[in-house]
Amino acid sequence: MNRFALPLLAGLLAGTALAGPAFAAKDLVVGLPDNITTLDPADINDTLSQSASRTMLQGLFGFDKDMKLVPLLAESFTVNDTATEYTYRLRKNVTFHDGTPFNAQAVKTNFDRLANPANRLKRQSLLAMLAETVVVDDYTITLKLAQPFGALNNNLAHPGAMIHSPKALETFGKEIGRHPVGTGPYKFVSWEADTLKVEKNDKYWKPGLPKIDHVTLKSVPENGSRIAMLQTNEAQFIYPLPPEMVKMVEANNQLELIDAPSIIARYVAMNTMKKPFNDPRVRQALNYAIDKNAYAKVVYRGYAGPLDSAIPSKLGFHVAQPNQYTYDLAKAKALLAEAGYPNGFEAEMFGRNSTNFIRGMQFVQQQLSQIGVKLTVTPLESGVETARVWGVEKPEDATVQMQYGGWSASTGDADWGLRPLLWGKGFPPKFFNVAYYKNDTVDAAIETGIGTADTAKRAEAYRVAQEQIWKDAPWIFLGVENLLAGKSKKLTGFYYVADGGLQMEEADLQ
Amino acid sequence: MLKYLVGRLAGILPVLLVISVFVFGFVHLLPGDPARLVAGPDATQQDVELVRQDLGLDQPLWVQYGRFLGNAVQGEFGRSMKSKRPVSQEIGERFLPTLYLTIVAMVWATLAGLLIGVASATKRGRWQDHVGMVVAVSGIAFPSFWLGLLMIDLFSVKLGWLPTSGYGTWQHYVMPSLTLGLGVAAVMARFTRSAFIEIAREDYVRTARAKGVPARLVVWKHTLRNALIPIITMVGLQFGFLLGGSIVVETVFSWPGLGRLLVDSVNYRDYTVIQAEILLFSLEFIIINLLVDVLYAFANPEIRYS
Repeated sequence: MNRFALPLLAGLLAGTALAGPAFAAKDLVVGLPDNITTLDPADINDTLSQSASRTMLQGLFGFDKDMKLVPLLAESFTVNDTATEYTYRLRKNVTFHDGTPFNAQAVKTNFDRLANPANRLKRQSLLAMLAETVVVDDYTITLKLAQPFGALNNNLAHPGAMIHSPKALETFGKEIGRHPVGTGPYKFVSWEADTLKVEKNDKYWKPGLPKIDHVTLKSVPENGSRIAMLQTNEAQFIYPLPPEMVKMVEANNQLELIDAPSIIARYVAMNTMKKPFNDPRVRQALNYAIDKNAYAKVVYRGYAGPLDSAIPSKLGFHVAQPNQYTYDLAKAKALLAEAGYPNGFEAEMFGRNSTNFIRGMQFVQQQLSQIGVKLTVTPLESGVETARVWGVEKPEDATVQMQYGGWSASTGDADWGLRPLLWGKGFPPKFFNVAYYKNDTVDAAIETGIGTADTAKRAEAYRVAQEQIWKDAPWIFLGVENLLAGKSKKLTGFYYVADGGLQMEEADLQ
Repeated sequence: MLKYLVGRLAGILPVLLVISVFVFGFVHLLPGDPARLVAGPDATQQDVELVRQDLGLDQPLWVQYGRFLGNAVQGEFGRSMKSKRPVSQEIGERFLPTLYLTIVAMVWATLAGLLIGVASATKRGRWQDHVGMVVAVSGIAFPSFWLGLLMIDLFSVKLGWLPTSGYGTWQHYVMPSLTLGLGVAAVMARFTRSAFIEIAREDYVRTARAKGVPARLVVWKHTLRNALIPIITMVGLQFGFLLGGSIVVETVFSWPGLGRLLVDSVNYRDYTVIQAEILLFSLEFIIINLLVDVLYAFANPEIRYS
């Protein structure tokens, strides 16, 4: 061991001696769990690649660290009463990294590109309702919609609607995802295999930012290796942090744990068209039969909070429901008996085959066995799940009885938390209403909510929808998982936002 | 010899053709819908259909195979369904890291394996043999993810000598190549030992000893040279396996190689990348087998090909 280690140590010492002065530049390394797929946000459906694009690109709106909608490249907006025509005043004196000026024409080029189905972009749905974009003057643009859509600003805050340099779009065409050029705090340097490098944009429009010279985003799939990078200061931020490794971060006085509520709802959808789940009393009984605190402890080692409505508390228009389904086996049994199942019943539950999902399903299985409900847990590989659950053409053909799943509403708004999942017109394959839940009050409320941009009217509509859904219990409401990450205490102004995205515009290393 | 080589090289084509049919068939038998996976979790069915047409997945299988084969012959494997980049680029950028790591691991593992094997065989039944074989068996038994993480904890976190993971300087090679090579060294040691013991029983070894050839010469020239044939076979096989990219080692050490690419593409049903990767692995194996056959002739001049 010694003979091998000595020359190694000597080499390393020589290396650090040479590397010394270079530390003057502020270099940040971030450890990611997966590879980046592309850097064209219009064509991205994973949070990680969105975070990576967000270092370089920006939209008219964005979210701050608390998921509050904030204007970025737009300064102000006006909207008509029916939410079909939005006019935006754009920020002046902003240039793209390639020197192209940011203006209304640039926005039009990007939005027309995203909205056009012929371009086959994965985020086309964000602007699917767009009928026409009108350039009013250099810094004013009007979006005319084919149907009312009250949450447009939220859609424009989604990373998918971020703005590329029109010149880059023309130059790189389909390769734009390898050559992102935006208005953001950092400029693209290189992206090879598993590593993305970006550098400071000296001409950034926010004065004094960014403070970091270089940022490296590196994919490190193995949890143990990722945390080792943090421990050795090879990385200053890593995510996600598996709950079982939280102690390693807490034990190190150079490191800091990030533990914050996410917008990821965990629930079991019950097929309300099939027996026995067509009876709301059965669905309520199942909700009463599960100890949610124990769920958080067993499945997330305590790093999860309650799901106290159909949407997590960090989403816009969330209303905590007053009558919680507090763990009560007697009540659960009574409800089951009332519904005609005094001895319980048998059912099958689908879910993904990751360790965490299987643990969650087994927990539900154990809890429900207390009231005589015998569950068969069927973990499905993602491709199989897709075919068996989401791709089913007709509700009658659905084989799903129960589905253990989750949802993260990436627009931060109640609409995308409810409409895809619980709207009577959103059964698979159109959307993801696996509960096959249909309630006229809820449908009307969801449609009202999206049909206006009036905040008071929307709030009322979503209050009504949440109340009704809670009563009908098409899901077993399990919890909201926390985001866990580890960071160096030297790193400040770096945010892990509730939607799972990273924000590093204000990041600094002390 | 030249004629033989040309014949063998020509024989690769039909083999690859058969492999391509199998690869294409298996990949398309995988359950799951790549169009749905590409379109994303909240895409509507309409979007999924658009993606399907885009990827050519709405065509009958034989049309898809024809297109795949036609392009493959021209060295064109299409674009990755996931990244939309040309597959050749996608694989090209991962090939060298895997190749370099494989070579480093194979070199130390083969040398170490040979030395331990010969030492064990010549000191058969004595303590050197026991130590050697304990090391070898442990090398086979240690799971590489465990060993890898343990090394990271010791050398990077506790001692701070080596970078935890990644690809770049020579320091980055130390732990991955040790982890990757350990199993190979162990197999080589056991294999060398048994091949060596067998040859040592041959008459010509006894004759060499009897006529007073120095012991060292008997071991390294007469015995080892003849034991080389099975050892070369083994080196070839192991080399082929490692070239496929070790999924575990590449994951633990974040090595940007082919193994990780393969896992990612299977998870994503990235048909084009999976097909090209498996074809590449097959081709590598065929070429290595050919090299092994040629090396036989060098190890033993009595072997003639015609």
